[in-house]
Amino acid sequence: MTKIITVITLFICSLLSAQTQFEQGMGKAFGLWKEGKNTEASAMFERIATAEKNSYLPNYYVALINTTSAFSEKDKTKVDLLLTKAQDALDTEIIKDQANSELYVLQALIYTAYVVADPMTNGMKYSAKVMEAYAKAKVLNPNNPRAVFGEADYQLGGAKWTGVDTKPLCAQVNKAIELFGTFKPETPFSPKWGLERALETQKNCK
Amino acid sequence: MKTKLLFTISFLLFAAFIFAQNTIYGKVVDQKGKPVAGANIYLDGTYDGATSSETGEFSFETTEAGNKFLVVSFLLFETYKQEIDVTNYKNQTVKLRENINALDAVVITAGTLESGEKARVSVLKPLDIVTTAGSAGNIVAALQTLPGTQTVGEDGRLFVRGGEASETQTFVDGIRVAQPYGATTNNLPTRSRFSPFLFSGIAFSTGGYSAEYGEALSSVLLLNTQDEADHEKTDIGLMTVGLSLGNTQKWNKSSLSVNMMYVNLAPYQAVIPQNVDWNSPYQSLGGETVYRYNFTNGIFKLYASFDGEKFDLNQKNINFENPVRTDMNNNNFYLNSSYKGTFGTGWQITSGVSYGYSKNKLKYDITGIDSQENAAQLKLKLSKKVSNHFKISFGTDYFITKYNEDIADNVSIDVTNDYDSNIFAAYTEGDISFSKNLALKVGLRYSNNGLLNENNIAPRASLGYKVSKSSQFSFAYGDFSQIPVVDYIKYSKYHQFESEKASHYILNYQFTKPGQTFRVEAYYKDYSNLVQYDTKNIQYNSIFNNNGSGYAKGIDLFWRDSNLYENLEYWISYSYIDSERQYKNFPNMATPSFIANHNLSVVTKYFITDWKSQVGFTNSFGTGRPYNDPNQTQFMNGKTKSYNSLSFNWAYLLTTQKILYFSVSNILGTQNIFGYDYAKTPDASGVYQRQAVVPTADRFFFLGFFWTISDNKNENQLKNL
Repeated sequence: MTKIITVITLFICSLLSAQTQFEQGMGKAFGLWKEGKNTEASAMFERIATAEKNSYLPNYYVALINTTSAFSEKDKTKVDLLLTKAQDALDTEIIKDQANSELYVLQALIYTAYVVADPMTNGMKYSAKVMEAYAKAKVLNPNNPRAVFGEADYQLGGAKWTGVDTKPLCAQVNKAIELFGTFKPETPFSPKWGLERALETQKNCK
Repeated sequence: MKTKLLFTISFLLFAAFIFAQNTIYGKVVDQKGKPVAGANIYLDGTYDGATSSETGEFSFETTEAGNKFLVVSFLLFETYKQEIDVTNYKNQTVKLRENINALDAVVITAGTLESGEKARVSVLKPLDIVTTAGSAGNIVAALQTLPGTQTVGEDGRLFVRGGEASETQTFVDGIRVAQPYGATTNNLPTRSRFSPFLFSGIAFSTGGYSAEYGEALSSVLLLNTQDEADHEKTDIGLMTVGLSLGNTQKWNKSSLSVNMMYVNLAPYQAVIPQNVDWNSPYQSLGGETVYRYNFTNGIFKLYASFDGEKFDLNQKNINFENPVRTDMNNNNFYLNSSYKGTFGTGWQITSGVSYGYSKNKLKYDITGIDSQENAAQLKLKLSKKVSNHFKISFGTDYFITKYNEDIADNVSIDVTNDYDSNIFAAYTEGDISFSKNLALKVGLRYSNNGLLNENNIAPRASLGYKVSKSSQFSFAYGDFSQIPVVDYIKYSKYHQFESEKASHYILNYQFTKPGQTFRVEAYYKDYSNLVQYDTKNIQYNSIFNNNGSGYAKGIDLFWRDSNLYENLEYWISYSYIDSERQYKNFPNMATPSFIANHNLSVVTKYFITDWKSQVGFTNSFGTGRPYNDPNQTQFMNGKTKSYNSLSFNWAYLLTTQKILYFSVSNILGTQNIFGYDYAKTPDASGVYQRQAVVPTADRFFFLGFFWTISDNKNENQLKNL
């Protein structure tokens, strides 16, 4: 009896401590990211990812941080390295789960970063892939505000070159903002970004 | 009581376990001992770790004990992983090896001009083929704006660094295309058979290429079909010269693209004054298809193309009073299937087979020439990445060619010429990266030609050295051999020919910055074993020998820039060449007629946002080319006036998917002369009369409307993806 209790206690203890360790680690990594320490934040998420193979979130944020860093990076060699790192982290998770809408939104974002880095070379090749990834994200979760907004935003970005009618796209942006309002992240660390940028885009729509 | 005690003990133990901390600290440096900042150092499978500081130092605490794997990872370096004793890891230095696969590693560039997403330094971008003024979607015409090529207006094929057009071989997905050009005859330019849309990468080597490629004396053109279709779509093209239709279907693991094209030059020939008299206009009907299937570890591709062409015209000929009629019919089929995949640890396999069939029915005046060529290649290549610093590849090839022609002129007896050639080849090549700045490639190719009854061994070597972040030197050397062209080899019943040979020495300097590429290349080519004959024309009873020789040397310059002015891209190519040969029936060393000493191309593209238009100009200039005037004692003493052509194009985006395209070549209407044909016999006053070789028309106009219908916004379709 006592043995059983001990084992259970130990088990619960370790469970509890693992839980807090994950939360602590994630919390710390988000803190670093907020402070603008992208490298450190990415490194922290990377470490969590190697320890927590059951959560897609650490790798998701490794990919997200490196992708967003790539957008503001001027050196093309570095852009490529950042995006390769992002893609590797994302691939690890996509292999495990092909039904996660958020992963495809991030995939679209990586492709978008390639297009932004060199539109002449990558535009034709990646544009179709961006659209494809958003479409897949929407199929998996039609109410994912990031998928709805991202798809519209990408096309709006190209509208001045392509002359596409912006009205239906702006309608999609509005829809996405509504979805952001009702969206409930599954866990405190689940993706919930995007509303600010959507509001900004909405301003330009008017 | 007992229980309580146990509880306490277990908690205490647990707590002790948690708080038994060890500090791990040390420093991360690169191979030169310089500190690496921002590296991620951690114990594998734990949360414990740190990021290295500006001085490369790191320190963190861990509750782990015993042996654990320490991982150090950083973008630019190879990930370091080593088992350590956690309690005793203090003040250690971790030396990271640079990642040779990183993008800024040296790439051997001698001789090679690349385009496509895989190319690290793109000289041409995928869209350039279509958007370069004057190219009209012809891959070869776009390549002719690159250094090292000659514009030979009456031929249309690729002439590279003093080599004949036949010295360039074309490969699709690594496998040879026996008949890469459309049918042509006397001084009518041909064009590449391949539509640029199905290819994602082009590597054009003007010399010193890998041991993987043989049977090419001067150059190889490597075209790679797309691994993956972009999306499902239908393309419709309406042009002043014909119609085109394409469709792409995409499934879970596979995709299929089909393109069809019908060309009829009748409307164009009716509007633009022609220098020849067409009985029936140039017409062609062709199609190509690519099927791709993705396996977990590889990709299978099947490429097939078919085209039928015909034209009928009367051309003036100095030897005849009336124009001579040429009636041409050509059917061509090409099939190429390849598999590329990985297996085991670091092994890669590429295998494939190609088959080309060409049937020509030519009627020239009263002489009918029917020819057929069947050509196939089998290929197997294996490569293994032994480490990040060494890669080895080896492979084997088998070329089969069967050629046959019948000549009938209803006067003399019918003549049949034919030959069967089988060439076996094997090669091996090693890629050694000494560091990120120094790479070496050495290879050896062996071939056995059954028809010529000979063995050849060709060594190849190239070296790349990076001197700074943006500049590098490359050097390449290679021996090349090629079976003589069909015009000779079809008489191999009467004469035992030998392969023609060339050696290349190339020194290249390249400077790249984002949006800018500068390269300069100096080369020397030594030709030997060239075929010679002693008659005016090549005949079965000519006396042949393989004693011809020659050389080509020169400098090629290339500058591409997209930073000068927003939305403007331009490039400038300049080539200087000095080349002489004693081959064919040349009485002495002389510069062949296809060589212009100086060639200059300037290509510009400008995107006008407000007009949603891209406009482009291309100017090609070449100094005069030599010709032989039998009225003079010195051979090849004449020189034509220089060549110039200014072309313009305009692409207007009606919407993303509808494009209006207009192009015109030689806007200025320069009267270009490619050379002179002299009469075979002198006239009454003892003078050989001549006739200028000129383009079939001074200008070419093209207007097209291209519409892509793609329903990739349709969700129902996407469920099939």
